[in-house]
Amino acid sequence: MQRVKNKIGVVFFPAFDWAIFPTHPERQERLLYTMDQLKEEGVFDIPGIREYKPDVAGIKDVERVHFCFPDVESNITDSHLISAGGTIKAARLIMEKEKQKAFALVRPPGHHSMKVVHGGRGFCNINIEAIMVEYLRERYGIRKVAIVDTDCHHGDGTQDIYWHDPDVLYISIHQDGRTLYPGTGFTGEMGGPKARGKTINIPLPPHTSDEGFLYAMENVVRPILDDFQPEIVVNSAGQDNHFTDPITNMDFSASGYARLSEILDPDLVVLEGGYSIQGALPYVNLGIVLSLAGLDYSYVKEPNYDPDEFRMDKRTMDYIKRTCEKCVGSYFSTPPLEIALDRDGDWIVRSKEIFYDTSYIIERQREFVLDCDNCRGVIKIYSSSSRVKDCLGIEVPVGACDKCIKRGEEEFIEAKKKGRFRHIQFIDRPGKRVLRYDK
Amino acid sequence: MLFGIDVGGTHTDAVLIDRQSGIKAWTKIPTDPQDLLGSIRMAIKEILSQEKQVNIRRFNLSTTLCTNAIVQDALEPVGVLVSAGPGIDPWSFKIGDFYEVIPGGLDHRGTEIAPIDMDYVDGVVSRFLKDGIKVFAVIGKFSPRNPVHEQKIADLLNGKARFVTMGHTLSGQLNFPRRIATAYYNSAVWPIFNNFLKSVEGCLKEFNLTPQINILKADGGTMPMNRARWIPVESIFSGPAASVMGIVSLCEIQEDAIVLDVGGTTTDIGVFASGVPLIEPENVQLRHRPTLVRAMKVKSIGLGGDSAVSVENNILEVGPKRLGPCVAKGGKVPAFLDALNCISKEGYGDTDASNRAIMEIGQGLNCPLEEVALKVIKQGCATLKQEVMSFLDEINERPIYTIHELLQYRRIEPKKIYLMGGPAKILASYIEEEFGLPVIVPDFYGVANAVGAALSRPTTQAELFADTEKKIKTIPVFEIKETIPGSYNLKQAREDLINKMIDYITKEFGWDIEPDEIEVIEESSMNMVKDVFTVGQDIRVKCQVKPGICKDYKNSVRCICKG
Repeated sequence: MQRVKNKIGVVFFPAFDWAIFPTHPERQERLLYTMDQLKEEGVFDIPGIREYKPDVAGIKDVERVHFCFPDVESNITDSHLISAGGTIKAARLIMEKEKQKAFALVRPPGHHSMKVVHGGRGFCNINIEAIMVEYLRERYGIRKVAIVDTDCHHGDGTQDIYWHDPDVLYISIHQDGRTLYPGTGFTGEMGGPKARGKTINIPLPPHTSDEGFLYAMENVVRPILDDFQPEIVVNSAGQDNHFTDPITNMDFSASGYARLSEILDPDLVVLEGGYSIQGALPYVNLGIVLSLAGLDYSYVKEPNYDPDEFRMDKRTMDYIKRTCEKCVGSYFSTPPLEIALDRDGDWIVRSKEIFYDTSYIIERQREFVLDCDNCRGVIKIYSSSSRVKDCLGIEVPVGACDKCIKRGEEEFIEAKKKGRFRHIQFIDRPGKRVLRYDK
Repeated sequence: MLFGIDVGGTHTDAVLIDRQSGIKAWTKIPTDPQDLLGSIRMAIKEILSQEKQVNIRRFNLSTTLCTNAIVQDALEPVGVLVSAGPGIDPWSFKIGDFYEVIPGGLDHRGTEIAPIDMDYVDGVVSRFLKDGIKVFAVIGKFSPRNPVHEQKIADLLNGKARFVTMGHTLSGQLNFPRRIATAYYNSAVWPIFNNFLKSVEGCLKEFNLTPQINILKADGGTMPMNRARWIPVESIFSGPAASVMGIVSLCEIQEDAIVLDVGGTTTDIGVFASGVPLIEPENVQLRHRPTLVRAMKVKSIGLGGDSAVSVENNILEVGPKRLGPCVAKGGKVPAFLDALNCISKEGYGDTDASNRAIMEIGQGLNCPLEEVALKVIKQGCATLKQEVMSFLDEINERPIYTIHELLQYRRIEPKKIYLMGGPAKILASYIEEEFGLPVIVPDFYGVANAVGAALSRPTTQAELFADTEKKIKTIPVFEIKETIPGSYNLKQAREDLINKMIDYITKEFGWDIEPDEIEVIEESSMNMVKDVFTVGQDIRVKCQVKPGICKDYKNSVRCICKG
């Protein structure tokens, strides 16, 4: 009989009746073989490992995080609410101390969804980790969170949502953006002016295998987490660094993933990408479950895996070590800005153009962050897309000062009066409310 | 006529049922754990003494024989040979003293990763045979997807072993550790069960009876003797299922409901969803090892007539311990039933002794007799309610894998309670008050289990897997593996499985079954995609024949339950 070190909950929701389209990587079949493997191994019979049904997230849970235009409903399907709800359920198992660790094995993923949502990007419509984190903040009053994103693609959505938040440490380890979607996640991206050094990007060269990944985990992620001391560590776990993944170019293995989990020691693991549904997912997901529970995973080996095929050469390892050194520096001795910030009165301004590759939408936005001395500052975003024009999002963030609470309200009233925007969403986090205005 | 007999741990209950006139004879005698056959013989004798003219068509037997053998570890040693691909270390599933892992393995689609090392098998088998092993169990990881490795090993054992269980023949369900445990126990009880069956047949002949013999299963269904010979493990834990089937026979249940069978040591809770007893595909644990034996969803809780009543630091405790029988039955420690005796006109056993014992409890609490008895009963009912509620929560929390099901999900909310077992009559009004639901106590509740055994029908479950890329379909439990055209689809798969099940039940069970009695419980057909092209369909269908009772006998026993 196997004995677990940690009691774990697995919220398994394969959404066997949902796909982006029938032959899309994000399709019904994606977690079929993972289910078969977990069932055949009898994982849920091991005392201390239990399977749970997901919750269904509410529109409110989404609105607390995202500016959705024209509204939440037209941007999502039931499957998105269930995958976000599954993630919340997993987190609640931890917060209610029912389980020591939890794994939300759900789909569709969410880490490419940004603060503003006009449609789907990188198979994601809403950010399931952010929805869960903000739920926890509102319900359980936690403050410091670390999200470590081990998906092969840069989690540009999660980075965008927490860009200005100094209490959420976001670390992404991924294939170099010069060689893979979404083309971002370079070491120089370190967070907004109020949260600089709280976003850490570790881009790794194509064909990085176990040695390179685990080096970065031990030498960058671990020391930064030890210093930041978050109340909860979330792993956005994409299984697409696997050597069999059809849409990426990395050489990571199932046992490497299990070891990564061991080093990271997350409270909560949330499935993100990973599209080698036969060759990787059954083994990687099993490896992670065993590793979280503190069980032996040494027999979890892909049938066609030969570690000798994936040994890293010295030059690549040296390159990775240099990158890692830079990343450690981004956190412990954050370098000053290289270009001055754009300002407009007491606002710090940034312009962005965003392409929604899944929905084929283009969006242009101007983001204004109030330069407040007492808190993170009110945020407002002007946004227009090829689908919906003239939208405005205003957010009074968690922990806002009285001045910013008042300012947010004024901005909302004024914007309604001016009539320039067709859709306005006002997120008032201290007041725990979201207001909408549609012309 | 039908003869139903339930050989339980304490009592052996038997009934004789006529299609027209219903229950013709019944008996309840103590079971002799050392001589189950003797208890059966006695019960038959007793029934035949009540009813001289008998023409018994079916003899349905529920027995604890295999359960006892397993619990008492009186098992035949089994040579267990397993083969496994990647995953959890197969040595962590070791069972028995003769367990060996054979090199070779399949992946999750049944594709061979490494061939079976037959020389290795040969060596292990020779060693086991030398050690005196006569029965074997052969289990491969993912064998329901492809039984080839199990078959190869079984072929080698042919002529050398007295009996071999192949894992895939037990269930199409994926669960390697359960398959190992189930196959192991199946082989381990095979000799004792088969000897027993022969004796039962002989015993019936002594009475000049030659009925069709059926064995009760844990899922509330029956299997004919010829089938039971090969899967004796299915006969375990049939007792609680027989009780639930008894309620189904005696009462017309259409709504969500619960059944409480209050015994001496425990109370069994059963659940009905829209009148159908809940079955759990994987429920039964044997010596802490979960198995693949399908069972009725029943939970046993530590509260029964003999549950001890005590006062500790001014706090009243009822159960879960049993410290001998209740005082009314000559025990030393006051128990739940004694409290019921204090307030009931129709007491059980030595009611004066009950009164004295409960009075003593009352003194510890500075409470008069009636009040303390009431307290005990209320506390017992509260415990029952708490357990029932947590059981329902557990059932309502079961995982679901499609959006449709999740959004359509209907919680089970009981509207009625069916109460049986010794103290049922006295308890009824208190249970009613505690739960706020109507309580029904059927007549013949004392032998409902035997009625259930008599009226139960065959049940079965089967899974079909088709892989149109590999052009193969398998129905593991029927040992079918056939090629299919690439155009094979879900509709054909469903029809195939239903036809095979009808065929199987008609031939093997000698039972006429209508296609609509076969229920599709799961089905799916998913695109298998390579790169961006669909290369085939992964088709899965699971069907069951639900537990039920003989329609032609139903009316004769119905309408004797009272609210």
